Amino acid sequence: MTSTLAQPSAALLRDRPHARAAAPRPYADPYLTGFVLGLVLLAAFVLVGRGLGATGAFASVAATAVDAVSSRTAQHNGFFAERLTPDGIWREWLVVEIAGVFAGGWASAALAHRLHITVERGASLGVTQRLARAAGGGVVMGVGAVLARGCTSGQALTGGALLSVGSWLFMFGAFGAAYLAAWLMRSAWA
Amino acid sequence: MGSDMLTLEKRLLAGAAAALSILAAANSIVNAHAEHYPGTTPSAVTPSAVSALAAEIEHEDDHVTAVELAQWIRQRKPGLRVLDVRSDPEYQAYHIPSAERLPLTALAALAPTDGETLVLYSEGGAHAAQGWVLLRASGHRRVYFLRGGLLDWMDDVMSPALPNDSSRATVAALSRYFGGVPRAGAVPLPTSSATAATAVARVRRRGC
Amino acid sequence: MIAPFTEFGLLGPRGALVAAFAIGIAFGACLERSGLGSARKLMGQFDLTDLAVFKVMFSAIVTAMLGLFWLSRLGLLDVQKVYLPDTFLLPQLLGGALFGVGFALAGLCPGTSCVAAATGRVDGVAVMLGMFAGVLATGAALPWLQRLYLATARGGLTLPRLLGMPEGVVILVVVGVALTAFGFTARIERRAAMSSRTSDNGV
Repeated sequence: MTSTLAQPSAALLRDRPHARAAAPRPYADPYLTGFVLGLVLLAAFVLVGRGLGATGAFASVAATAVDAVSSRTAQHNGFFAERLTPDGIWREWLVVEIAGVFAGGWASAALAHRLHITVERGASLGVTQRLARAAGGGVVMGVGAVLARGCTSGQALTGGALLSVGSWLFMFGAFGAAYLAAWLMRSAWA
Repeated sequence: MGSDMLTLEKRLLAGAAAALSILAAANSIVNAHAEHYPGTTPSAVTPSAVSALAAEIEHEDDHVTAVELAQWIRQRKPGLRVLDVRSDPEYQAYHIPSAERLPLTALAALAPTDGETLVLYSEGGAHAAQGWVLLRASGHRRVYFLRGGLLDWMDDVMSPALPNDSSRATVAALSRYFGGVPRAGAVPLPTSSATAATAVARVRRRGC
Repeated sequence: MIAPFTEFGLLGPRGALVAAFAIGIAFGACLERSGLGSARKLMGQFDLTDLAVFKVMFSAIVTAMLGLFWLSRLGLLDVQKVYLPDTFLLPQLLGGALFGVGFALAGLCPGTSCVAAATGRVDGVAVMLGMFAGVLATGAALPWLQRLYLATARGGLTLPRLLGMPEGVVILVVVGVALTAFGFTARIERRAAMSSRTSDNGV
């Protein structure tokens, strides 16, 4: 049952003594948490007429970064041009939302004594290898998310609840491919 | 004891979900039935009906321009259905984004639905205009055809000549939304235009 | 109809951003509380020992889906004013598959990587950086990917419209499948845990 408790598998820093004093609380029930998450999603629909998302925040930041380096390039490229925020990056809904995700994730972990600096990995994988795979996986997700106009938050959750055909297609494609890829890489988390 | 309560909460939620979805299905089925129930029987093509249609044609209430259609699609106009009346190979080669293929022969089978706005288009507009008459005669209320057809769509939306007035940014943004490439005539496109970018950013959809 | 509040003048642009932050906090907290900020736990989904991802995701989808339907039927929410993502059949299926491969490789998705990073997991930071790079590169390459990116556009297409079925019926099917699947998760997790233990012995 070790998977239900947050265990630092390999601390990069020396163990902080007080981290041992407060044992991490167990995770909450996934069904109930999912229900609450569904209410949060519903609240988003009711309040601002849109759902949750993550990819868009990355895209806005990317567009701003490109613009900072070369305004010409940013304006020329339709994808970036559409995502420029002349009134500042903090006027972009998804960027503010993701900032909230950070804050909420941190607060929840702090309250449950689940904050530690660590690199989560399988026992058979070294730290560098794990970080390389994490980054590589992130790159591939970035490519897929741009093509699909979203990720698990925006497409699977939001589009799923709205019964959008493309979103459900995304879900099937993503989980189908993920299961296959995970099975091929199963030794990594052993 | 804690886990027992959890199980009870979960059972209640699952029960509520089941009940609400069964009710939803029932509610939908009942309403769908009412929707397709013709509130007004389709009008036969009587002389008065024909002259009413003729009046609409004269008043130009029968068509939309390519730019108007583009804006409707982009603004996700509720109930909008764009119908392509051309052949299947033509449709597969290119069709207006969100358009469904519906040949003229199938138009007769199309039942009027409340709240729908139909826009027909064809290559140049002639077939679509004929389809307009068919649909209006069989009782559809909000029907239009794309004036100038796909040719106008290409000219005015996919590669529009950018006007030199205040609508320039809007036209450019609209074109880019559909994957088009605005032209600036003999003058090369400005490589940087703060106002255009602002206009584009402001009308961006609420994506994720 | 009073919702969405922003569309009915009950919430201005500033209020929308305040809502964004509040909603984000709740989102992040839910993810962290359910353990989805941990790549180890997330990967349990794929060897079937821990189906938390499925449980959280589909509980959320079912809840929001039913909420949308009933708020709309009760005349409170105008669903037409809620943003519906466009459907692009091929890019979304293909993008989804790519995304899935990346997900399996990284062990975290974009949203959960933020939660992971916020709670001290360096691998979460790595995923975020990779994600940023991937989005940047693909955005830059998009002019060359236009044909694929814009292929098979279907506009705002929903399952009920595609299948020609009433919305409530589609909802019933989704909820039915979800609840049935939930009923089996305990069994599946137990089975997978047992077989992984025996295969450990074997290896």
